[in-house]
Order: sequence, then structure tokens, then C-alpha cells
Amino acid sequence: MSPITRRRLLTSAGIGAAGIGLGATGYLVGQDSAEANGDGTGTVAFYGEHQAGIDTPAQDRLHFAAFDLLSEDPAELRELMQEWSKAAAEMTAGEMIGDVNYEELAPPDDTGETVGLLPSSLTVTFGFGPGLFAKRGLGLASKRPAALKPLPPLPSDELDGLESDGDICVQACSDDPQVAFHAVRNLARIGRGIVAMRWSQLGFGRTATTSRSQDTPRNLMGMKDGTANIRAEDTEAMDRFVWLGPGDGPAWINGGSYMVTRRIRMLLEIWDRSSLEDQEQTIGRHKYSGAPLGGSDEFDPLDLDAKKDGQPLIPANAHVRLASAKVNGERILRRGYSFTDGVDESLGELEAGLFFICFQRDPFKQFVPIQERLGTMDALNEYIKHVGSAVFAVPPGARPGGYVGEGLLA
Amino acid sequence: MNRLPLRATLTVFGVALLALALAACGSSEDAPAGAKKLSFKITDAGCLPHDASAPAGPITFEAENDGSSGVTELEVLDGETILGEKENLTDGLSGDFSLTLEEGEYTIRCNGGDQEDGTLKVTGKLASKSSPEVEEAIANYREYLEENTEELVTTTKPFVAAVVAGNIAEAKSLYPGARIPYERIEPVAESFGDLDPRIDARENDVPASEFGGFHRIEKALWEENTAKGMAPVAEQLLADVEELQGKVKNVKLQAVQIANGANELLGEVSASKITGEEERYSHIDLVDFKANVEGSQVAFEAVEPLLSKSDPKLAKEIEADFEAVYAALKPYERGDGFVNYEDLTKADTRKLAQVIDTLAEKLSQVPAQIVSGEQG
Repeated sequence: MSPITRRRLLTSAGIGAAGIGLGATGYLVGQDSAEANGDGTGTVAFYGEHQAGIDTPAQDRLHFAAFDLLSEDPAELRELMQEWSKAAAEMTAGEMIGDVNYEELAPPDDTGETVGLLPSSLTVTFGFGPGLFAKRGLGLASKRPAALKPLPPLPSDELDGLESDGDICVQACSDDPQVAFHAVRNLARIGRGIVAMRWSQLGFGRTATTSRSQDTPRNLMGMKDGTANIRAEDTEAMDRFVWLGPGDGPAWINGGSYMVTRRIRMLLEIWDRSSLEDQEQTIGRHKYSGAPLGGSDEFDPLDLDAKKDGQPLIPANAHVRLASAKVNGERILRRGYSFTDGVDESLGELEAGLFFICFQRDPFKQFVPIQERLGTMDALNEYIKHVGSAVFAVPPGARPGGYVGEGLLA
Repeated sequence: MNRLPLRATLTVFGVALLALALAACGSSEDAPAGAKKLSFKITDAGCLPHDASAPAGPITFEAENDGSSGVTELEVLDGETILGEKENLTDGLSGDFSLTLEEGEYTIRCNGGDQEDGTLKVTGKLASKSSPEVEEAIANYREYLEENTEELVTTTKPFVAAVVAGNIAEAKSLYPGARIPYERIEPVAESFGDLDPRIDARENDVPASEFGGFHRIEKALWEENTAKGMAPVAEQLLADVEELQGKVKNVKLQAVQIANGANELLGEVSASKITGEEERYSHIDLVDFKANVEGSQVAFEAVEPLLSKSDPKLAKEIEADFEAVYAALKPYERGDGFVNYEDLTKADTRKLAQVIDTLAEKLSQVPAQIVSGEQG
């Protein structure tokens, strides 16, 4: 019996030829040119200079998981990253994972819920947390980049330990939620006994734009989010703020980045009761157009000096002002997702918000100072709390036949 | 008590015999060499002939529609379970399928015929193709099965006596020990229709009027703090475990079933012991937990020589994972028993669940490996 591949289904349906071409030659042409098509036909190459899922146009859905490493055997960790990379490459290509899928008496290697679904621009991005380098048996202490350490306590933190940290992370993004879920589920299964899932997060809608080809989405506050985000096409900004180059740390991380995740719970009931004016003053943008206060177009420049009746047009504590690169001098690539996890047990309110993800060259020079400023002064703090936090070093991409983290673990 | 519907559990330990035999000789569409042929005509009157007989072993059923428009299929059933069928045979069409059947009476059915059902008598013994290693694996597990059902009767007797005498304290102290032999061999008990629900159903698993067995008494002792009205329930329980002891003497076993049973026992741990659902009044879930794991380990060890031929690395890993489970349980042991389930924190249960999942993921690969080992 010939194995079903999702790509083959797609071919036989006579669509998505462009997506296939890109997938097949993705390594040569680079991920930048791989389109994340919302119709599911997009294929993003797993192998490349950088890991996919950073400069890939943000897909609509997320399943993110952080794992604790149970083993301190370097060989086991290496084998895990080899197997994970192989499976991730198969899944992003729209293929079933593993060899045993048709054996009557054996559980299939692939759990099967994506059979018949399109590749849906799946990307799988791996990261290593600071805890990995603290495990003595692994002997990685000397390879820990200086910029990879637990974040300091930050203002407005209300962290839950079981929703924070992790030794290894998997960020699966796709235009189909089931494809993203399948990726995390199958990697968790492959890792059984070596890693245990510590926490995971589903994101149902992107809240960031990472490509000029995309419109700015709205977050759950109804505000456009990510207007001023770095666009992947802006390679100068990517190199300056996101990608690690020679000399940025140990050689193994060259071509990689650092990821910070924050589970930000939004107090939506309170937000919804505040007036339109309050909402706009809090953010510093008009709700519907997304334009800075006083402007009319989303992309009007942010004029932080503008005054009205002697007062700043954009309030001193408005979110856009405090987050602006004009104030901080630093930028980050945001790639977050809206989430909901049902009902907050103790309040009977929506347990929902923003699963914030950002990439940068140094979290301590980029995310941390920005958040210190925001956490202290941001008018938005009245409506949010940070309940989960994690930081990971994201290794560069793998070459075909290689695996993510090879530079560190080989 | 397994939460799976009865049909699913039956498949694993009862009907599986036949299914496995089929799997071994390829799909049922291929007539095995040396199969006995039985030919039927599908007619308005039903299958012709209505009745047939054959020696135990592979049988090929040939069916031809001889001018019937209303009757278009032929089925072979064991009780009401369809073992094989050929459907959509309209006038003039014919088809066949094969089954490997052991001694017994089966039904041949042509749905919609004037006489729908006929009888197929299968006589004689299935020729055993099992290797001496397979025979030994089965013999070893059978011994364990019989030991534990015997012990179950032995441990249930004083428990039942204490309940009948209304001695609550005594009954409570005997309850965990009586459960252990049952929990070690539960998947086999589940293959006997309603015997498992009678012995081990939890409240809500069965209609309220049928709620009996261990857990009905558990509820009375711990939640209602009485043994009143429990004498008939206890006596029925003893009768049921004695019936189980008798039945296992004739149970037919295959190596793959034993390996599947090892998996199922871990499934029991994951589904109802780690969650504290099984012993919801007495909270002795960890006692059952360990018994399930012990039963799983013995089942695994019975088939391990077969696995060691095809995948010695997997066999070694599973051995180590069993030890990891016992090590994870160790901190919760208290004397002969365990801490109360309610004393476990979420972090505790999470750790226990992880070691079980790790072991179970590997153990689930064993049945297929055993088969490939047998063929190879």
C-alpha cells in the first residue's frame, strides 16, 4: 500500500502547484519566498539558514508547547532533536510521520488526524531554555549564551510556575488549527520518556503582521495589533534586531534568535466596560482605523510630540508611546496569538488574552527594557496581567539531513 | 472496570482469536491454502443449503446469487457477532471470503430470506502452528491467571464474611487485599461478558439497579459507613469470582492477546487509577495501580522471550521502564499498602502519569513485534 501524503492528495486535486514547487526547492530559494497561503496550499520548507516560523508570514493558528527534559544523557537529547527534526520536516511537507502506519497490530506512528488535510503552511520552530544548560549531565554549561538566562522579575508579573519556563519549546504555526495541534501532539509522543510536556498553549488567531503582504489583525481588545512590527521583508531590521550574527554569542547560535513568550491574560470584562475614548487613550490609537491619535490612517507616523490644549495628543502612559522604538530605541519581532482557555474558574469570566511571542537578538537589551517601561507605566496594565513567561534560545535552521541544535549537540 | 464499551473489550480478548488468525494468513479475501470450501446459493428461500458442517481450520465461503432480488448477502456469525460477510451480491453475482474457525456452532445468515438463519457446525481441533516458545509463553501466563483467580476467591471469602457479619472495620481492612488479584488479571475477566461489570463496575457504569460487586460494598463501607443490606451483594460477589475462577480454566489465549492485555492494564492505570476514579470512596487507588502494573509486567515477561528475538533493545527498555514505575511508586508506600489517593498532589500524580505513559508507549509496540518474531 502506498502511503498517503497530504502533498500527494494536494497534487491529485490539481491545486497548489506553486506551493509544492516552493517546498521542493525551499532550501535553495529560502523561506522568505515561501508563501503562507491562507487557503492551506502553502508549504514552508523546514530546512534552511534560519528556522522557519520566525520570518515566515504569521500563520493564523498556533499550538505552542514547553517541555521539561527528563534525561541528562546528551546522546538521548541528540537523538530526540534528530527524530523531532525529521518528523517536523515530514509534517511540514504534508507527509505522515514514521514508517509504521499500516501494521494491523501496531499503533500507527502518525496519529492520523491530518490525513486528507493540506500542509497549511505548517512551521515547527524549536528553542532551548536556560534550564537545559543547567543540567550537569548534559555538559552544556560552557555553551550557554550570556543572553540566555531566566528573565528578571518584571513589573505586573503574576506568574504561574506551571505556565512558565521549560527546557525545550516547540512553536507550531499553521493556517489549520488541527495541523498545528497534530505537530505538537506527535512530537510529544515521540519524546515520551525523554521530555514531558510542562505547559502548552493554543492560539486561535494571529495578532501580528510579519510581512508586508499581510493586513494588520485585531487583538481581543478590538485594536489593530502589530502596525509598527518589523516586517520580514525589511532584512536590514531583521539583521539588526532579530537574527544573531557572528560574535553575538557562541557559534552554535549564529543564524538563530531569542524567543520570549508571555501569556498575557486580558481582563476583557473590564475592558469592555470602558468608553471608546478610554480605550483609545489607553492604546494611543483610534480603535477602528488603527491610526495614531490625531491621525486618520493606520500607517500615519506616530507623532509623540504633538500636543492638544497643551497636553500630549498621545498620552504619556499610552501603550504605543511606551512601546515605541522612538522611546526605547529597540525593536522586537512580535508574533503573538489570541487565546482562550474556557472559563476562569474563580471568576466565571472568559479566560482569554494574548499569547505574546517575540524574537530578538538579546532579550535583556530588547524585551526586558521595553517591558520594564510598560509594566511600570502602561495605561494598559489596568486591563492585563502577565501570567506566564518563558525565554528560549532559537538555534539556526537545519540543513537537509541535519537537525535543529546540531551545532550545540553534535 | 474498563470504560470501553463491552464490544471493544470483547474484541481484544474474545473475538480477537479469530481476527488474529486471519491477520496471520492475510486478508480474508485471499483463500488460504488447504481451506475447506463451502458453497452456498443466495435465494429468496435463504441460503442454500441452510446448514453446513466443516472441520476446524480455514474455511472459504463461496456465495452466488441465484435469482434473488431481495436477498443479496451472506453472513457468518458467532452469536450476534459478524465474523465475515459478502454483501451486495445481486442476481448472478458471486463472491467469497475466508475465515479460520475453531470448534463450535456458528450461524449462516442470508438476510431477508424466508429462512434467514442456518447452522454451521465446526468440529475438531484447530491445528496448532505455535512454536514451543509461544506455547511456553501461553502456559506461563495461564499459570499466573489461574493463581490469581484462585487467590481472588481466597481473599474475597473473608472479606465477604466480614461484610455479611456486619463487621465494618474488618471488611475495610480486607478490601484492598481482595482487590489485588483481580486488578492483576482484569483484562481477562473483561472478556467474559457481564462478569466484569458484576464484579467491578463503578456507580454510573451500570444502571442503578444493577450496581453491585466490590464498589457497591466499598460505597457502603466508606461513604455510608454501614454494611446493612450488603449481605446479598457480598454473596453474589463471591459467586461471581468463583464463576470467574471456573471460566479462566477454559479460556483460550494467544501470545498477542497476552501482550495486548499488558497494554490494557496500563490503560487501566492511566484512565482510572491515576485519576482516583476507581476507588472513589476508599481512595486505595494506588493499591490497584501497583496490581495493574504487576499484572502487566507478568504478561509482558511471558511474551518477552518472543520479543527478545525481534527487538532485544525494546525488551530491555521496557524492563527498565517497569523498574522506573516501581521506583516512582515507592515514596507512596506505607506498610503493606499506600498513601490515600487524596494525599497526592497534582505534581505527584503528574509524575506517576509520566512514567506510565513512557512505559505504555513502548509496550504498545510489542504485539506487532511478537507477530513478526513468530513469522521470522
